[in-house]
Amino acid sequence: MPSIYINIALAFTISLVGILTYCSHLISSLLCLEGIILSLFIISTLTASNMHFSLANIIPIALLVFAACEAAVDLALLISISNTYGLDCIHNLSLLQC
Amino acid sequence: MTYVLFTLSVMLVMGFVGFSSKPSPIYGGLALVVSGVVGCMIILNYGGAYLGLVMFLIYLGGMMVVFGYTAAMAIEEYPETWGSGFEVLACFLVGLMMEVGLVLWVLDFDEVVVMVGFNDMGNWVVFEGEGSGLVRSDSIGAGALYDYGRWLVVVAGWTLFVGVYVVIEITRGN
Repeated sequence: MPSIYINIALAFTISLVGILTYCSHLISSLLCLEGIILSLFIISTLTASNMHFSLANIIPIALLVFAACEAAVDLALLISISNTYGLDCIHNLSLLQC
Repeated sequence: MTYVLFTLSVMLVMGFVGFSSKPSPIYGGLALVVSGVVGCMIILNYGGAYLGLVMFLIYLGGMMVVFGYTAAMAIEEYPETWGSGFEVLACFLVGLMMEVGLVLWVLDFDEVVVMVGFNDMGNWVVFEGEGSGLVRSDSIGAGALYDYGRWLVVVAGWTLFVGVYVVIEITRGN
């Protein structure tokens, strides 16, 4: 397996671990989600170019469309949390309801 | 320079470690922009000029700008950079050390030159007969989105349209 694909898959895994671990801000996890999408874009583009499979160039563009939708909804949730609690700290978020 | 793609992929991983170690969101956005630029250079080395341009325009120029403005709303008085707290610095250094270990292992493992892309001339498609001549394969393939993938265009357009309504409803609150 070429070393370049190993590095890009490693970048995907590092971003995945970044989503699963929480620090003080919620937006840091959203940035790691954008990192996942970036690594998926790069891998699908390299695969389409390497195999000379021109039709597969549709996949990165469609991925970017749905990633933009998902980033918009994520940021809307962040804004609504920030409007409710004043800041997007993880400590404010709780599933407990009185 | 035969190792340019390998070096770029190592720099990509280092940029990813830079924002996964969770500094303040402003510095995380900076690391993501740098990673995006390095990723675009990797794509360009494989011959995908159109998709590199798409990534610059739409990903960095669209989504990252929106993230930057939203992060500016969530900023605090003293943003935490990579050198300020212990945890962020420790995560960053551990990530860098693991990448250095991977590089040393890979360079020791396979004796031959690390693979560069196959496409010296190969992504210029030549059509037989009179007419087209030379065509770039990545932009032609992405243009097929509007031919073979017309239902995908309809679905993606409808998704974006409904997404705007979802965002409005979420931010309305109540």
